[in-house]
Amino acid sequence: MPSLKRGTDGNIDDGAAAIGLIDRRTFLKWLGTSLAMTGVTACGRPPEDSLISRTRDEGGREEAVFYATTLCAAGEAVGVLVETHQGRPSKIEGNPLHPCSGGATGPLLQAAVLDLWDPDRSPAPRYQGNVATWTAFEDQVLTLLDRYRNDGRALRVASGPLLSPTLLAQRDALLARYPGSRWHVHDPLGEDTARQGSMLAFGAPFTSRYALEQADVVLSLEADLLDGSPAHLAYAAAFARRRRANAGATMSRWYAVEGTPSLTGAMADHRWILASSRIGDFLLELARALGVDVPADTASGIDPARMAALLDDLTSHQGRSLIAVGRSQPAHVHALAHLMNARLGNVDRTIRYRPSDALPVDFDALCDDMHAGRVETLILLDTNPMYAAPADLSFHDALRKVAHTVHAGLYRDETGMACQWHLPLSHALESWSDARSTDGTTSIVQPAIRPLYDTRSIHECVALLSGATEQRGRAIIRSQWSQLSDKAWESALREGVIQTERPESTAPAPSNDVAAYWTHATPSSPLELLFRPDALLHDGRCANNAWLQECPRPLTQLTWGNAAMVSPHLAAVHGLANGDLVRLGANGRTLTVPVWILPGQTDTCVTLHLGYGRTHAGRFGNGVGVNANVLRSHDTGWSCAAAIEPAAGHVELATTQSQDRMEEHQPVRTVRFDASHANTPREPNATPPSLYAEPAASDYAWGMTIDLNACIGCKGCTLACQAENNIPVVGPEEIRRGHHMHWMRVDRYHSGTPAAPRTFHQPVPCMHCEHAPCELVCPVGATVHDSDGLNVQVYNRCIGTRFCSNNCPYKVRRFNFLQYADLDTESLKGQRNPDVTVRNRGVMEKCTYCIQRIEQAHIAADRDSRPIRDGEVVTACQAACPTQAIHFGNLRDPGSDVSRTKRSPLHYVLLAELNTRPRTGYLARVENPHPSLDGEQA
Amino acid sequence: MAQVFSRYAGFYARLALIALLVLTTSGVLAWRALTAERHTVNETVEQPVPFSHKHHVGDVGLDCRYCHASVETSAQAGMPPVSTCMTCHSQLFTDQRMLAPVRQAWISGQSLAWRRVNQLPDFVYFNHSIHVAKGVGCVSCHGRVDQMPLMRRTETLSMKWCLDCHRDPEQQLRPREHVFDMAWTPKDQRSLGIALVQAYRIDRAKMMDCSLCHR
Repeated sequence: MPSLKRGTDGNIDDGAAAIGLIDRRTFLKWLGTSLAMTGVTACGRPPEDSLISRTRDEGGREEAVFYATTLCAAGEAVGVLVETHQGRPSKIEGNPLHPCSGGATGPLLQAAVLDLWDPDRSPAPRYQGNVATWTAFEDQVLTLLDRYRNDGRALRVASGPLLSPTLLAQRDALLARYPGSRWHVHDPLGEDTARQGSMLAFGAPFTSRYALEQADVVLSLEADLLDGSPAHLAYAAAFARRRRANAGATMSRWYAVEGTPSLTGAMADHRWILASSRIGDFLLELARALGVDVPADTASGIDPARMAALLDDLTSHQGRSLIAVGRSQPAHVHALAHLMNARLGNVDRTIRYRPSDALPVDFDALCDDMHAGRVETLILLDTNPMYAAPADLSFHDALRKVAHTVHAGLYRDETGMACQWHLPLSHALESWSDARSTDGTTSIVQPAIRPLYDTRSIHECVALLSGATEQRGRAIIRSQWSQLSDKAWESALREGVIQTERPESTAPAPSNDVAAYWTHATPSSPLELLFRPDALLHDGRCANNAWLQECPRPLTQLTWGNAAMVSPHLAAVHGLANGDLVRLGANGRTLTVPVWILPGQTDTCVTLHLGYGRTHAGRFGNGVGVNANVLRSHDTGWSCAAAIEPAAGHVELATTQSQDRMEEHQPVRTVRFDASHANTPREPNATPPSLYAEPAASDYAWGMTIDLNACIGCKGCTLACQAENNIPVVGPEEIRRGHHMHWMRVDRYHSGTPAAPRTFHQPVPCMHCEHAPCELVCPVGATVHDSDGLNVQVYNRCIGTRFCSNNCPYKVRRFNFLQYADLDTESLKGQRNPDVTVRNRGVMEKCTYCIQRIEQAHIAADRDSRPIRDGEVVTACQAACPTQAIHFGNLRDPGSDVSRTKRSPLHYVLLAELNTRPRTGYLARVENPHPSLDGEQA
Repeated sequence: MAQVFSRYAGFYARLALIALLVLTTSGVLAWRALTAERHTVNETVEQPVPFSHKHHVGDVGLDCRYCHASVETSAQAGMPPVSTCMTCHSQLFTDQRMLAPVRQAWISGQSLAWRRVNQLPDFVYFNHSIHVAKGVGCVSCHGRVDQMPLMRRTETLSMKWCLDCHRDPEQQLRPREHVFDMAWTPKDQRSLGIALVQAYRIDRAKMMDCSLCHR
């Protein structure tokens, strides 16, 4: 037998020599043995666990500890409570004491904790792409900055919007140290049109704050009060309070006029579709009808009956109405709305003004100076213009003309790659800071964990750059708040809000001279391209957050990518189907994108969402969707003339819901508001007989009611559930196969015509049927009822037959087809909730009503031998909900909140005819249309 | 016609059967050895410091809660911080070699890592506080710790062992005031247990729920 021992030539290296020692027979023996051993080694003993004795008693280590802090998301600072387990932040809850939260959070804040543990965060400073140290940076850059001590005109700093009072003070110190230097603000999603509108109307910048509890009639002109605007959590809560159909209550009426569907439009009693550029004309028409002296205009084309109804509501609710304008509308529309609110007597009633301390967005000025070669050193703080700057500013070319560039950010993103220096910033959960919300509330940001990497906070970076003597994060913030006594400081940290006197603002008088500032929009093209922030990714800063990427967009149910939203009519004209590629042309540039047909979209508008198409976001965010900033220009920020033409090709977009009509089952029910029927007791339903065994009576019967009249469809519950219950992400491929894992899904339905539909949202968790069909078919008893009547899933029994999922009429069960949970990435383990099992491949899972929270309440109550109090168990979805649409509690207690909702005449359950007796029920949506428009579609 | 089987066929068949038996047995034994628990029942576990419960509990008379402070309020009994050791050992046995790791930890601020003796699988959620509150003595699960010079596990901690008590809690309950008493023995456990199940309002239906321990 020829042996390998001889080899092929004399130059055998060591590895080949080792191979040469083995002949064929021995090789096969070892192969067989190693195969046999593979099976054995697959089952290893569990890793040894250590019990750590800390040196000093720090107290409270065994149970979850909550810290009050502040997180900034979508231009607003919101007070939150960070849940930590053994020092690891794992979950965000709202801070009930903070007026911008009121205890609620919403999807962005829920996902913020994942950014902290993101394995792609920048761990160390870099110089020219090589890993460097902070000391090297100090040596090099501080010497460089010394030359600007006398003349700093060539030194520029750019940052995002400054919400922190300390950072504003530090900015002043930096500008004073380098005289002539400038600090620019870059904010792709800024409220700059609102600011300019306020300048037109009042001559000074004011921020508006709406008191929606006081408003009986609300007209929203592309103002996405419930989802996109700052303070939207507080607005959503106020909206829900005024929409309760209680006896004797007066329900508010909402009108929305918009070019592209929004969550506010979906909740409004009347949603009128109008091209974004015609909304100014509409407001002008309304102003004239109200008797305001306005210039003549072209008619907006709105139905006179609708206009009459709106006029009737506005005039009959003077002082109790509100006209709100969104940032996508030009400044003069904002200015006219200020005047009309003043005429309607709404100022200081439904709208309050506060002098704005926000800096104007002047990033284009910086780019001009860069192009002209007037900038020598540029420091970019936590902003990413390489990705987000409008293409016409050609920031890429401008940056090449700058000799020294420094970028500081959480990630080494597009801008970090293009700059010479990159400095890693600490996450908000790792750093000291402070923040001022749009309503003037100030609060402290305190760390919940030490920095995971060699990072510094933005304050420490600015202190370093301006040569401040104090460069430690906590001391910087403490000295900014030196007027607080130690006791007041402690209480600000504990409560998460600084109790300060807020100056009473005097309402300014708006300018009456509308003709002076009114500019007639002349649509130059039949088609408008609208840019909107993505519902979850916003400007794309968190594009590497896999939870946000995988969470279905509320109105489209799209995940992992964006698309051009077109109306059904426009799609028919061009022969387009969902996912077909089109070439969009705008501002002299073109972009190829897939289309998505969105009912309710204006026929003359195409909407493209920002936040996608990142190239250096990280492993999850890279190359997802297309970058809409390529088509954007800095002077027409939110819309521009566009051309659309079909292109060859098709993309299969990942969506979680293919059916959007309700058909005969009517899962979402609606009724007309009628104050008299609100307290009519419901006829007790005769419970049909059943062959299922009746469960034994016990002290507790957990149940849930979801109020569809309050649910705005924001998906906060979906993400709260994901964070609480260690739900893995599966990626776009698996979503396309229908393998999504969200325990709490929010279904979206359309009714009426595709051109002008009504849109409904319906959160669907497990129904926890009393007669659960899933339980009968499980061959191993892995899904059973417990004594509280919960339908529980026992992961360690489950063998993965999936019979239960097939027999579930509500399709709420989720199966781990693959090993979705990432067991290898070390940093992601830090986020997981230690009270919930991490499921492996081959196991069925579903909503548990947050059994871990129920059991903790049981144990706490049993320890004291008392019953569980109503409200003691709060599920994760319930806690996160901005509108408190979710009620949860003990059905055996007739006085509990959830029992009251079950007695409501609006209560119903899904697929009642199946007699599964679900514990999860719904309250029907109540609509309050204007009597003269009753019956109109949308 | 030639023989179909050679004269050794029977021998080879027997040989093959024996080989199969040997392979299967050794495979099973190897698998069991690899997946077995790290420490068997009653096997002492080596620790960074040879801490003696016998000395501290049996001889000195420390209460369990002096070190395991969160046992009444939390799921975990809690491991004492080094500062607890130093309350005495900053004065006593300060020159003992075996206490060097404790002093080292105290000076350097580095934590001490003890090896776990009683380990449950990750999908089991055990809570100390509720067992203590309902009158399950430390001895019931941990044995006579006051007689152990070095710590060892005395029970299997298997699911069957848990359920034996959850099905029939009367056999283990004791008055709350005797939970931490190592030497307490009942006069009539059965009638005492029945009375305590009533008195401590133990919901026997709930005791058998899967969701009680698995979430």
